[in-house]
This record gives sequence, C-alpha cells and structure tokens, in this order.
Amino acid sequence: MNNPPNKPSTSQFAAWMAVARWIVAALFIWMGINKAIEPVDFLKLLRQYDLAHTPWMLNLVAATLPWFEIFCGVLLGLGIAVRGVALVVVAMLGPLTWLVLQRALALQAASGSPFCSIRFDCGCGAGEVWICAKLLENLLLIAVCAILVMVREGRFCLRFNLFN
Amino acid sequence: MPQPNSSQKSRELRHLLLEALVVVVAGLLLALGANAVSSRGIKITRDYFSALNPPPAPPPSTNKATENPQVLPPTTNVTVETPLPPALAQAAARLQQRGLQMATLQQALQLYRDARRLSGLVVFVDARNDRSYQEGHIPGAWQLDPYRHENYMAAVQPVCQQAEVVVVYCTGGDCEDSEMAAVMLAEAGIPKNRILVFAGGFDEWSANKLPVEKGARMPPQQSQSK
Repeated sequence: MNNPPNKPSTSQFAAWMAVARWIVAALFIWMGINKAIEPVDFLKLLRQYDLAHTPWMLNLVAATLPWFEIFCGVLLGLGIAVRGVALVVVAMLGPLTWLVLQRALALQAASGSPFCSIRFDCGCGAGEVWICAKLLENLLLIAVCAILVMVREGRFCLRFNLFN
Repeated sequence: MPQPNSSQKSRELRHLLLEALVVVVAGLLLALGANAVSSRGIKITRDYFSALNPPPAPPPSTNKATENPQVLPPTTNVTVETPLPPALAQAAARLQQRGLQMATLQQALQLYRDARRLSGLVVFVDARNDRSYQEGHIPGAWQLDPYRHENYMAAVQPVCQQAEVVVVYCTGGDCEDSEMAAVMLAEAGIPKNRILVFAGGFDEWSANKLPVEKGARMPPQQSQSK
C-alpha cells in the first residue's frame, strides 16, 4: 500500500541535484561570459596575483579560463560528463579560492581593515565583491561539485558518463 | 544491492579520471579556438605590460637639469604641496623613473581651458577601452587603448607629434594604462618632456563635474561650442 520509503526521497534528491547542477552551471556560464567579453580586463586582474612570470603564461590563462568556464558550465547544465566536469571544477576552484584568500589577506594587511570589510575585484567575473561572501560562495560551489562527483545521479542528464 | 568490489571501484575511478582529462583537453582546445576567433581575444605571445617594465638605467650624466627639462605649461602654478595618496605617490615615482611627469587635476583643467587646445597644441589622450571611452571622455580627447594600440596609434601619433603638451589619462586610482600609453607615445617619438600623465584620471575629472563628451570624439572647436 505504502510507497517504498526510498522512492520519493530518491526522486526528490535527484531533482535537488539537478537544480544544484543548473545553478552551478548558470554561475559558471555567467562569470565566464563576463570575463570573455573583455579578456584584457581579466588579464589585468590576473596580473595582480603575480602568478606567472612569463607573459605568455599569463596570457594563456587569461585567454583560456573564461571560455573553459563557459564550457564546463554548458556541460554541467546539459548533464554531460557530470562527474568528470565536477571533479575538474573542484580541482580548479580550490587553488583559485586559495589565491583569492591570499590576496584578500594581503589587502587586509595593507589597509588594516577587518577581513570581511575587504572588497575588491578578484577577477572572478562578478566585479567588486565582499571577500567573505566570495569565499562562502566558492566553498559552497566546491561542496556542491564534490557531491556531484560522489553521487551517481544521472537523471535530467543527457549523458551522465562518457565511459561506462 | 551488491557492493562494488575493489576492481570495479578502481575501474570507476579510472573512468572518472579519464572523463576529467577528456573535459580538460576538449575545454582547453575549445577555449584556445574561441580566443583565436574572438575579435577581443588575447594574443598569447605578446607582452601586454612591457611598457611597465622598469626602464633601463640611464647613462651617467653630469648635468641632469638639462637632460629632461620639465615643461609643465607656464599657466601651471601649484604652490601648495599636499601629500599624495599612496597609489598616486607610487605612480609619480614610477613616472619620474621614466622621465615622465604627473599632472594634477588643476593642471589638467588649466590645460583643458588653455586656448592652445583649440588649435591642437594641447592634446588629451584617453587610455581606456572602447566601452569606457564611449560612455564618456574628456571632450576632444583621442583614444589610445594601450592593449590595442595598433588600432589607434596611426591616428594619435601625428596629432601628438604636433602638440606642445600631451595629457594622457585613464580611469585613475590604481589604473596603470595611462602610464603604458604615455610610454608608448614616448617610444613612438613624442618627446617625453611634452607628455603629462593625469593620474587622477577620468574618475577624478567626472567626480568634479567637469565637461564630459559621450560617444565618438568631436574636434575641440565643436565640443567647445556645445
């Protein structure tokens, strides 16, 4: 008479996972487009991090990262190679978040302001942001993508796995 | 439900890593292609910030006063020395190293009101990108985006060559684009002592509600009559 207890919660979980995936996808596409529209502005922001000591390396990151984000966003949105994309996003967002944190700490040391009152353009594609909000956002994105890697939930996906 | 054994797990892990690798390779190839076909794409081999590299040490000279005569316009008379904000002080030091001079808002304004501007002897150069320039610039200013200088230099260089004073500006604050444009103009043959960098930039100009021209550049005579 009763539905099996796991059925409704499983389909509900699938729906939540799809919504989370679409939110991450939309964020990536939006931020990627913002950077790809004016890549030189992104290049100037990247330079602040003092990451690459050769111009071509800095140029390569500035040229590819925006489009790569859009690509990942589209794949996640359509549900193609979901776990692989989510793994790449985690691997990408982790170090980037660390760099943003380091830059914010340097700005805080220079200004002497409370940490959460630091506001700057981190080159993330959303203009000037409050650092605490940005870090929280990135941690949430990492957490959602980590769940996408671990959970094999292929509903609402065009091709969940590339290799079976 | 049967639990996956260790060989299944390791196969799944291999598939996951392979999938991630395919995504990275395909994404990078697509990104490089998109950058190559985009009109605003980055040129990978170009050093966009070469103009900001430290200048080579000048040869020793016995008479430094005549080496780089400072030709701020005679109308300029700034007597009150106020401490510069750190970003401006750094910019002033960098400019001095390159033999360039920094202009304050008062100096830029005096030059804007200078009658020589109407005859092209005082020239303003906007070192911001197309979007910012179109949204508003100092009336009559020429555009020289240093990251796409090849698109502008042919028009700007002859104008600056004839000018007695060239005032270069960008957004202001931490913006280094006016420095880059000034160095490029100097490299294109404009004598350094004619180039001023208005460090407060367009932000300071517009914050003081000074005249702003939107859209394409109009000759100073026309913008004056508006």
